[in-house]
Amino acid sequence: MRRVASRLLHVLERVLDAESAVRELRWMQEVLAGPKPSPSTSTTLEDMVARRVRGEPLQYILGTQPFGPLTLLTRAPVLIPRTETEDWAHRLAEMRQPTRHKPLSVLDLCTGSGCIPLLLCSLWAPGSTHACGVDISEDAIKLSADNARANDIAIPEKGPLPPHEFRLRDRNTFTPLLGNIRDSAFVVASGLHPPFDIITSNPPYIPKREYDELPVSVKDFEDHRALLGDPDDTVPDGRGLTFYHTIAELLNSNKLLKCDGIVALEVGAGQARDVASIMENQGGMRHTRIWNDPWGKERVVIATN
Amino acid sequence: MSILSRLNLRPHTFSAACRVHKNRTYSTQQHAFTDLDNAPIVQLVRRKLQERSKLQSETSEDRVSAEDVARIKKIKELEQLQHAWEEWTQVAKSLQETTPLLSDSDPAMRALAEEEHASLTQELSAMVETTFPRLLIPASSTAHMSALVELRSGVGGSESSLFLGEIMRMYLRVAGSYGWKASVLSRNETENGGIKDAILEVKGEGAYDILRWESGVHRVQRVPATEANGRVHTSTVSVMVLPTSEDSEPGKDEELFKMSDVRIEVMRARGAGGQHVNKTESAVRLVHDPTGITVSMQDERSQHQNKRRAFQVLRARLMDRKLEEEMAQRRAVRKNLVRSADRSEKVRTYNYAQDRVTDHRLGWSVMNLLSVMEGDALRDILQALEEKHGEEQLEELLTE
Ligand SMILES: C[S@@+](CC[C@H](N)C(=O)[O-])C[C@H]1O[C@@H](n2cnc3c(N)ncnc32)[C@H](O)[C@@H]1O
Repeated sequence: MRRVASRLLHVLERVLDAESAVRELRWMQEVLAGPKPSPSTSTTLEDMVARRVRGEPLQYILGTQPFGPLTLLTRAPVLIPRTETEDWAHRLAEMRQPTRHKPLSVLDLCTGSGCIPLLLCSLWAPGSTHACGVDISEDAIKLSADNARANDIAIPEKGPLPPHEFRLRDRNTFTPLLGNIRDSAFVVASGLHPPFDIITSNPPYIPKREYDELPVSVKDFEDHRALLGDPDDTVPDGRGLTFYHTIAELLNSNKLLKCDGIVALEVGAGQARDVASIMENQGGMRHTRIWNDPWGKERVVIATN
Repeated sequence: MSILSRLNLRPHTFSAACRVHKNRTYSTQQHAFTDLDNAPIVQLVRRKLQERSKLQSETSEDRVSAEDVARIKKIKELEQLQHAWEEWTQVAKSLQETTPLLSDSDPAMRALAEEEHASLTQELSAMVETTFPRLLIPASSTAHMSALVELRSGVGGSESSLFLGEIMRMYLRVAGSYGWKASVLSRNETENGGIKDAILEVKGEGAYDILRWESGVHRVQRVPATEANGRVHTSTVSVMVLPTSEDSEPGKDEELFKMSDVRIEVMRARGAGGQHVNKTESAVRLVHDPTGITVSMQDERSQHQNKRRAFQVLRARLMDRKLEEEMAQRRAVRKNLVRSADRSEKVRTYNYAQDRVTDHRLGWSVMNLLSVMEGDALRDILQALEEKHGEEQLEELLTE
């Protein structure tokens, strides 16, 4: 066994630095020793290593990714939750302490795996948080529902919970909704109940130029719809800001946010200032703030009134 | 040495007291009681209770000053001891009353008295041996804590890191046998399957108090598997047992450190980061500026988990420091004679050739190395170390 492992370690070292190779191999072994996270999880170490060498992201191979106290399922091509997102979502959670008697409503646009609203649901008190997550991808919506179930967060049977029912619930809820946020009819069509206390989003933000240069493990395995900031060819040399304009429009025309609400948006490298002014000028938000990520990069725009 | 002998009580006093000789009866019995009554611990109880009644007389009931509050607290603390003492006086009185009857002319009466006398003496000696020490020895402030066990390889190169792996498994096994939950928080492996350093978490009530005596240098003497000419090598692993609690209550940390004194560093550059990168870069390092303690953690798959773990280790190290400082202060005040444990000191030797494990503090050897490594004999050693600690605490009290 040890001989097999050390041979595979050398194989991994061809694509990873030595320390990462040791750790990734150990994580693979740990997953193999436990219950299978999903039917597509490999059953042998050889297979896992072979997939990794081909460039597949570790998180898809292992089938899960921890996100704060949550263990989230990961399935291609739904975007793998990032460390930067984990960091700011915790920070956001510290800004409010909802209770069952003072509950909060949350809307997460472009929810993907559901990581952001599910984290809030798990960090905030039971019965204090009622979240909805919208995504255009069926894979994402299915995964986010599975993630809610896997982490013991309730999914209301009849769609988004109307605020007058919040008090009847002693658990936090998450409603996954299939929808296109660029079609302004989605608010009504998905049965949402605005205004919300918190609106979060980590929308696709990578400019086309940078997209073409992405590493294989991102470009070839994760959904291009989850990454490309300017999905239409109408913005040929865009800066990846299309979704921020969309969100600003939504805020402006739909009374989506309560007066004392918070908008938290993840942004890509070098986009924070632009997004802040989009929120102020186009979204009608009065105040904006920028948060750095653990690597010191401007990563989040917080907008309030 | 047992507690009994430290109390200047010869065990045979008791058996002699029970085997009553016709003529010598009276004086022997009297002697047994005097021995008990003069035991240093009984004198200590007397002193403590005298202090208590002095405090009581000084405390006013109506006008409660800050000093009064402190006095009342002290009085309250000694309440159980007062009850025990009342019981002691009662039993002693009965004993005194029984003594003359031991030389009664009626043999039936004598037999009855002998029985009664023996059982009363036994009661008193039980109080001397267990009740009083239990009430006098201060309760451990870490009794509820779990433990982190930090292992570092020392001299001996790869042999040391191989031995570290074995010691690590020894602790995992012994933790299991106590019913604790143990897991490896972090480890750095070497090329040849050894471990350079590791941190174990041992979760369970009392885990820290029982394991804390493991801190120190552990030495192994054996022929390394890789050694062709069969020469015995000596290598070492250093062990550090730190107190930790399941979940740190909010606000509790502030006693140990200020958040603003801790720098949280992430390793490596990550380029654009965010959506551009999906490689796991979860390693973090904490630097506590005032003490210079640094903790690196990279074994978990999420940065958040690594951060939590790193804070747990930082908290444990700072807590350990705090306990050490408090102990040093107490020692300085009392000019204590009991030597403090030096962590760089050799505490145990595992000699493979002789199939022997020697604990240098106990001065004991276990002639079955495997039973130590599997946990059974280690439990015996740990228990003996705990008892030794109890005795030292008692001695400390008695020399006050
Ligand atoms: C960068 S991912 C973020 C996923 C998740 N929130 C996270 O932080 O890991 C962006 C998500 O937006 C979704 N998306 C793209 N276009 C969309 C649209 N027009 N309407 C709704 N969701 C969309 C993608 O399917 C993808 O799941």
